[in-house]
Amino acid sequence: MLEFFRKYRLRVLLVLLCVAALLFYSALLRYRGASRPVEVKVIAITAPLLAMVDGSVETLADLWGHYLWLIDTAKENEDLLKRTRELAAELAQSDEIRLENARLRRLLDFKDSLDRSVLAAEVISEDAGSWFRTVLIDKGSEDGLREGLPVVVAEGVVGRIIRCSAAYSRVLLVTDASSAMAVLVQRHRTRGVVRGVGDRLRLEFALRQEEILEEDLVLTSGTGGIFPKGLVVGRVTSVQRDEYGMFQQVELSPAVDFSRLEEVLVLLEQE
Amino acid sequence: MLRLTVYFTLGFIFLVLQATLLPKVLPGEFRPDLLLFLVIYLALDEGEFSGALLAWVFGFLLDIFAGSTPGLYAATLLTIFVAVRVAAAHLNTESSLLILFLVACGTLFEGGMVILLSFLADIDDISMPVLQRLPLQLLLNLFSSLLLLRLIALLQSHGGPLAQIPGLRRLDSHYES
Repeated sequence: MLEFFRKYRLRVLLVLLCVAALLFYSALLRYRGASRPVEVKVIAITAPLLAMVDGSVETLADLWGHYLWLIDTAKENEDLLKRTRELAAELAQSDEIRLENARLRRLLDFKDSLDRSVLAAEVISEDAGSWFRTVLIDKGSEDGLREGLPVVVAEGVVGRIIRCSAAYSRVLLVTDASSAMAVLVQRHRTRGVVRGVGDRLRLEFALRQEEILEEDLVLTSGTGGIFPKGLVVGRVTSVQRDEYGMFQQVELSPAVDFSRLEEVLVLLEQE
Repeated sequence: MLRLTVYFTLGFIFLVLQATLLPKVLPGEFRPDLLLFLVIYLALDEGEFSGALLAWVFGFLLDIFAGSTPGLYAATLLTIFVAVRVAAAHLNTESSLLILFLVACGTLFEGGMVILLSFLADIDDISMPVLQRLPLQLLLNLFSSLLLLRLIALLQSHGGPLAQIPGLRRLDSHYES
């Protein structure tokens, strides 16, 4: 017996341990509804440690989670910014189209009021020097233009074509010093010649006895051979009558804002 | 030939800038006369014939894009080139201040030439607008020339092919020997 035990002592011991465990289990089954002191002690000792580890793990998990979230947020933020920029660009473009539409509608209304055929053109560049007032438009002789044709917008007279290539033309603005046109004052039909003086206009040869007042509207008289009658040139801003001389000195502000000139109409020759 | 091509390209770029971009960004229909600066630069740095030819070509191009009297700028810029060329022989051309001084003189001279040549073309009303705008134009030309001089110096300091950009340093070497 002893010989058997010595020979298989390890296995016997293992079996005994299993039996002991089963017995212990069986014994504990009777108290399963209540806390056992050992358990309480073990819990009391290990729980803070578990809480600490759990806290650390929570913090790490939280950090990791937030980091990932931040990456997502940053990406989302970038996407939103990109979208905002796209929308802002679309909005600006839409505004630009709306404004262009309004300008073209005004031009179209004005075109309908004219008894001559017209050609719409776009201003593509201004005078390269500071001393003169010309602009380049994107229509030329291929489109039926030639030197001398008048150029207008809904607000009034712009100028006349002075150079004409196949696809482009140069327009001399009425504010240029070399520009002159026959005009009349709308209120009492006083005639004169308007010349450009830089940013303003000057009415010349207006007889001294004619009573020209500020804010009087000045129109083309149609006698110069270039501009048809009745186009708005500008408004009188100042009148000066010297004690002597035949004429009075009258200054006008042009009806057209030349710094915002974009689309123009060229009045074609009457058929 | 390459130098002339570079000058021509630069002049054309200046011209396009003067006709398109600068009028949009600068108020009051003012634009710096970059071609004037280039012509003065040519007068100090280029040979007589090639420089004069370029100055005339620049003026001719400017006449296409500006004004109503063909040949006005061509004559004006060529005259400025010749005047600077003659004056440069009696001046210390090593100084960048000289270029600014010449730009100031060139602006006034150009204004005078525009009035005179326009008067010959029966445009006698131009004198007042030109005289009124001349002081601001002068300041604008000086400021733009200063910026261009700084830009040239900056490009030269980068070394390599950029160091070969003709300019004050090259002018200096003429007078050092």
